[in-house]
Amino acid sequence: MDKIIISVFLLAGSFFILIASIGLVRLNDLYSRLHAATKAPSFGIFLILIGVSVYFNTPLVYIKSLFIVIFIYLTAPLAAHAIIKSFRDQDPDKRKER
Amino acid sequence: MENSISVVVLIISFSFLLAALILSFIRLLRGPTINDRIAAMDVIAVIVMAFVLVYSVLIQKSIYLDLPVIISLISFIGTVAISTYLKHRYG
Repeated sequence: MDKIIISVFLLAGSFFILIASIGLVRLNDLYSRLHAATKAPSFGIFLILIGVSVYFNTPLVYIKSLFIVIFIYLTAPLAAHAIIKSFRDQDPDKRKER
Repeated sequence: MENSISVVVLIISFSFLLAALILSFIRLLRGPTINDRIAAMDVIAVIVMAFVLVYSVLIQKSIYLDLPVIISLISFIGTVAISTYLKHRYG
């Protein structure tokens, strides 16, 4: 029973990361791409961490997983905000050649 | 071992992550602006973290969970540093 739960969590997390990467390739604007590239990988790594924590099932693993989830969910919106802010502050006709 | 996950599940998960790595590498290669490349690098860091986690399930060693903590911190610092540099350089 544990194996089924862990397998479902690992596959769902990998699937969400794959969905995020497909959105990163197929969407046609930087704002849309960051919409795909910020939220879905955070949720995918959250699901994978739940699976890994249930698999190992020791207190140290739970604490490390909690740290990773807190770091990811704190830093992913800040990183996207920094990327978008540096994109908006640039000169629009000098964006293309870099 | 009797407590191990089926290898087929782990191989399917690895193949999903490999496809995600290839797709985000395509976006890293042909991003129109440098901000697309930074976003692709952010996604690649998350994919590498997921690789390490699934690999720790495969070889059954929980010491590998130290690695994603460091990768998440370094990825965030790199992203903010490059964005701040771009804002001061071209802004």
